[in-house]
Amino acid sequence: MGTLVFVLAVAIWLAGMWVLWRRRGADIKAAFRDASSAIPEGIRSRGWGLLLVVLTLLAVAGGEKFLLGLGAAIVLVIFAPRVATRLLPWALIIYGCIGYLNAKDGFPSFSQYGLLGSSWTFVSPWQVPEAALYIVAGVWLFPRLDAVGYGTIKALFGRLRGGAGGQSTGGPAATYAPLLLPVLLVILELFGVDGWFGVGWWRPQFSFVADLVILAAGIVLVARVPERAVAAALAGIVILGTYGILLALFWPGVSGGFYGAMLVNSKSSAVVGGLLQGTALLSFAGWLAPRVYRKDAELAARAEQLTERVETLTQTRTDAVDTAVAELRRIERDLHDGAQARLVALGMSLQAAERLFATSPEAALALVSEAKESSSKALTELRDLVRGIYPPVLADRGLADAVRALALDTPLHTQTDIDLPAEIEMPVASAVYFAIAEILTNAVRHSGARTIKIQLSYAAIGMLRAQVTDDGAGGADPSQGTGLNGIERRLATFDGILAVNSPPGGPTIVVIEVPCALSSPKTSSC
Amino acid sequence: MRIVIAEDLFLLREGLVRLLEAHDFEIVAAVGTAPELLEALLKHQPDVSIVDVRLPPTNTDDGLRAAIEARRQIPGLPVLVLSQYVEQLYARELLADQAGAVGYLLKDRVFNDDAFATAIRTVAKGGTVLDPEVVQKLLIKHTRTKPVSRLTPRELQVLALMAEGRSNAAIAQRLFITEKAVSKHAAGIFAKLDLAPSDDDNRRVLAVLAYLES
Repeated sequence: MGTLVFVLAVAIWLAGMWVLWRRRGADIKAAFRDASSAIPEGIRSRGWGLLLVVLTLLAVAGGEKFLLGLGAAIVLVIFAPRVATRLLPWALIIYGCIGYLNAKDGFPSFSQYGLLGSSWTFVSPWQVPEAALYIVAGVWLFPRLDAVGYGTIKALFGRLRGGAGGQSTGGPAATYAPLLLPVLLVILELFGVDGWFGVGWWRPQFSFVADLVILAAGIVLVARVPERAVAAALAGIVILGTYGILLALFWPGVSGGFYGAMLVNSKSSAVVGGLLQGTALLSFAGWLAPRVYRKDAELAARAEQLTERVETLTQTRTDAVDTAVAELRRIERDLHDGAQARLVALGMSLQAAERLFATSPEAALALVSEAKESSSKALTELRDLVRGIYPPVLADRGLADAVRALALDTPLHTQTDIDLPAEIEMPVASAVYFAIAEILTNAVRHSGARTIKIQLSYAAIGMLRAQVTDDGAGGADPSQGTGLNGIERRLATFDGILAVNSPPGGPTIVVIEVPCALSSPKTSSC
Repeated sequence: MRIVIAEDLFLLREGLVRLLEAHDFEIVAAVGTAPELLEALLKHQPDVSIVDVRLPPTNTDDGLRAAIEARRQIPGLPVLVLSQYVEQLYARELLADQAGAVGYLLKDRVFNDDAFATAIRTVAKGGTVLDPEVVQKLLIKHTRTKPVSRLTPRELQVLALMAEGRSNAAIAQRLFITEKAVSKHAAGIFAKLDLAPSDDDNRRVLAVLAYLES
């Protein structure tokens, strides 16, 4: 009976193949000749789908009712190759799992498993490796063939990690985390039903629960704290490897069962399986350990840097926002009390003049003069305000000429030494301009200097440097006076710094350094 | 007197045209951008031009640059530059060619139309007119350390007015003193500052400015 079924199965398979060849032979040849993306998607799918047919053939060797499955697989490959391809990883994984569990049970339920596996009468030692191969192949192909449900699993995994929409947020070490998954399986072997250190003495349903708990804990560990999981995986590999060596040395004192891919039931299998696999595992651990821990250390250092940076940015952003708001408030107040009030007065003067024009032209004329005066004052106030917001020369000519203009307006002999290869980006230029203006004001007011020197240069590493030197009395204390503190805060927004060197007796040197980009090549200079 | 006006804001341009026509100036062109200005200056070669510093296309100091370029091609072409703000830097650039016939005033000075008309005529005749605000800043710089500090308050006043480009007569009128007194003060100033005396108003202004800018 069995032979008949087998022959029938082979006949059906051959028939299927023949049909396939007749209908899509050229495509399949193309698919195998060149797997590049130039081949249409459907044809590539069929190429992959063929494996499903082969796999199903292996499975149907088990019994006649699976013949239906083989038929379905062939139909699927011919008419819905894309679906067949997406089912293939699942088929591989399930087939592998069945083989693995079957081998573990110790009594075969297949007439034939795979190519090297068990028959009805014995469990081949090759069944576990072969099953493992199927599982690995299935897992490897899972994302590559976009297996059914791959998107969902990815999204679920992403949510478990706490990232948004399946986005991985793990650091460098986290990429090693999936290594823990196969280790988990081996741990299950050790701690699970019939396992070694295990809970085999428990009633089977509880040990099954224990399996599930360990597996779930492992997956959560991998997903939530990948760095720890990597460490755990490493520890697991070391323990398992050591166990393998012990097994080789002391079997049967150290009991066997399944160790890795080997069924240890004799001294020779213990020595071969234990030594080979134990050595392999320990070597792997030796290779992995420095990588994992170096990445861990790098990650920790980087995390510290980032934390510091975030603190700095939070502080400087708060300062920048506060400064901006205070500035707007000042502008509003200046406009309200200054130009606006003057314009109201002007309107009132003109209104009165209009009324008096017929009766008392002279008084009207006086009022018009007053109005003219008001408008002049309003203009002066607006001019000063504009200078404080964004100085005209800075807007017209950029930082270099603005600093030259500043030097000219300083009521002391002021030299400039300016070397900028191109224009500085606007926000930095403005901050540095006001910083220099404030430093000059301080020098004029407090230092008693006769001459001031302003140096402005740009280093190719992307650093704008300004230095203001005066020959005054020195002894300037940057911690006193809010002026310098204000400059420092304003510069900090751009990661700029301010340093004051002012020994008693002078000279006073103030240096500003701001990292910045050049905004445009210099177009002209007068 | 033939005048070219460059001002980008329509209201101000028309206002200037009206004001100048009321003072019997002839407006040969009223333009709104720097390229138009340069073209008009080179084509009309006006007796004087009135130029806003900030003009399109870039709306920075295009007007100033166009005026300086025109004077480079036609040396001594009279230009009176107007601006919402005055900068010593720009004053220097205008005066740099030592050719005279330059003015640099705040826009508000237009409010005093008689003085404004006088300034225009001064520039047209080759004189130099500087805004009091610029002169004040120039003087502040020198009052601390230079021989300027040895001048009497009256001499300082006269020096400021000379630097603004005013004639002896105008200074006398302004300070309510005689022209002769002004001449005396001027001689005193020139002696204290160690400058060669000059009766020519234009040369005198340039000498004073050159001294103050040194």
